[in-house]
Amino acid sequence: MKQVVLLNVNDAEHELLLDPSRTLLEVLRESLGLTGTKEVCLLGSCGACTVLVDDRPVLACLTLASACQGKRVLTIEGLRQGERLHPLQQAFIDKGAVQCGFCTPGMIMAGKALLDRNPQPTPEEAREAIAGNLCRCTGYQQIVEAIVAAPAVEQAARTPVADGGQYLMPDMAE
Amino acid sequence: MQPLPKFEYREPESVAEAARLLAEFGSRAKLIGGGTDLVPSMRQGLFAPACVISLQRIAGLRGIAWEEGAGLRIGALTTLREVEASTEARARFPFLAAAAREVGSPQLREMGTVGGNLCLDTRCRYYNQSEDWQDCVEACVKRGGEFCKASPNGRARKCFAVFSADLATALVAAGARVTLQSAGGARTIDLADYYTGDGASPHAAKPGEVLTEVLVPGRMQGVFGTYLKYRVRQAIDYPIAGVALTLRARDGRVHDARMIVGGVASRPLVVKAVPELLEGRVLDEPLVESAARLARKAATPLANTAGDRAHRRQMVYEFARRALAQAAAHAAVATGEKGAR
Repeated sequence: MKQVVLLNVNDAEHELLLDPSRTLLEVLRESLGLTGTKEVCLLGSCGACTVLVDDRPVLACLTLASACQGKRVLTIEGLRQGERLHPLQQAFIDKGAVQCGFCTPGMIMAGKALLDRNPQPTPEEAREAIAGNLCRCTGYQQIVEAIVAAPAVEQAARTPVADGGQYLMPDMAE
Repeated sequence: MQPLPKFEYREPESVAEAARLLAEFGSRAKLIGGGTDLVPSMRQGLFAPACVISLQRIAGLRGIAWEEGAGLRIGALTTLREVEASTEARARFPFLAAAAREVGSPQLREMGTVGGNLCLDTRCRYYNQSEDWQDCVEACVKRGGEFCKASPNGRARKCFAVFSADLATALVAAGARVTLQSAGGARTIDLADYYTGDGASPHAAKPGEVLTEVLVPGRMQGVFGTYLKYRVRQAIDYPIAGVALTLRARDGRVHDARMIVGGVASRPLVVKAVPELLEGRVLDEPLVESAARLARKAATPLANTAGDRAHRRQMVYEFARRALAQAAAHAAVATGEKGAR
């Protein structure tokens, strides 16, 4: 029997009539059109559907949507800050951490969960944070570099520079 | 996406209410904690419960507390991540916090609960497969068929699916006890006795019982403990073999050793011969070698998980040897400290 579920996704409230067998991944992608969260293995083995629920990185494919009533869900679509990308998204671009892009949303959400708890992670801590996320293109190195570089990108974004608002990237500073 | 089978979903707010629902739905109900074991199994069509009962809104089932005279109480809904990060667990039983950290991936540990780890279903390469795969073969014992496909001649009538929970294996080595609550009351049993050894029905919970808490006895504080996990990748994978070892070192001699091996049998395998061999003796290199060989002898896995049988047995030997070598180093240090006083 369907149930009314109140979901807070990316700071927007949604009232949905859902069958309890629907997963958070299905609801995000199919009911709310938030297709940034990717569907891959559906068994918890790849991390591509990682989202934050009450700030904790979880797998949307294994989470029942009904169980998220009253909790805050954050997806990749909720990361950008106004017109600007989140520093971690920008760092992924700067470091070439995106190739085919399919694992990227999950990687970024797992990386964000780490940065929220630990604003200056070491490469080792970044590796561990994405240990549950598979990437078949990059070899992971650039992804680790992007997560480690994100605090500097954020710092740079806060610092006004002379050449018309483009903020200084760590690489360009060298 | 292939939807999950339809079910009714309930979120009781007390254990009593959960037990009542369990009694009402009987074997047609499944309990859910973090969902990391149940949901993939439902996805593969292994279960189609009429009712899924979530324990997440029950107050008091989540948390870790030290109780003087009793020990470390861990609520069933405590996540594995919370155990891994718990200052109480890390200070008093560091090997348990380390074992929790060996499970799955960061996301799976954020979701997965201690109760779920203890109640993990047994796994087998002939059982944990998609419905399409299952449609092409005769059902195995665990799926209601006649024979175990992993048995050497495919003719065994018993299920040999493997129990592979890392934390549970370490908790058995720690002498943990679990509380099972039902509408009729509560009982507390040794965690080791919670496992039947039958792959098709691996847990000893009676109908209507909810596992609410695990208690690590206070007397285990200060014992040496370790849990070493062998797997293909350094994350996500279940153990191919997991070896837990606890013991007391007094005057350089070993007392009350326990060795438990996960990933090779339908229950956490208690290697009884190891304490018999080690009791009261100095853990030197030849003794480490002999004890590790006993672990290999006790482990007789079938061809039902990653890695062939001979390899898995050899890795049981190797990881038992490493665990024992750690213990030997600890015993030597313990002796040295005493000598220095």
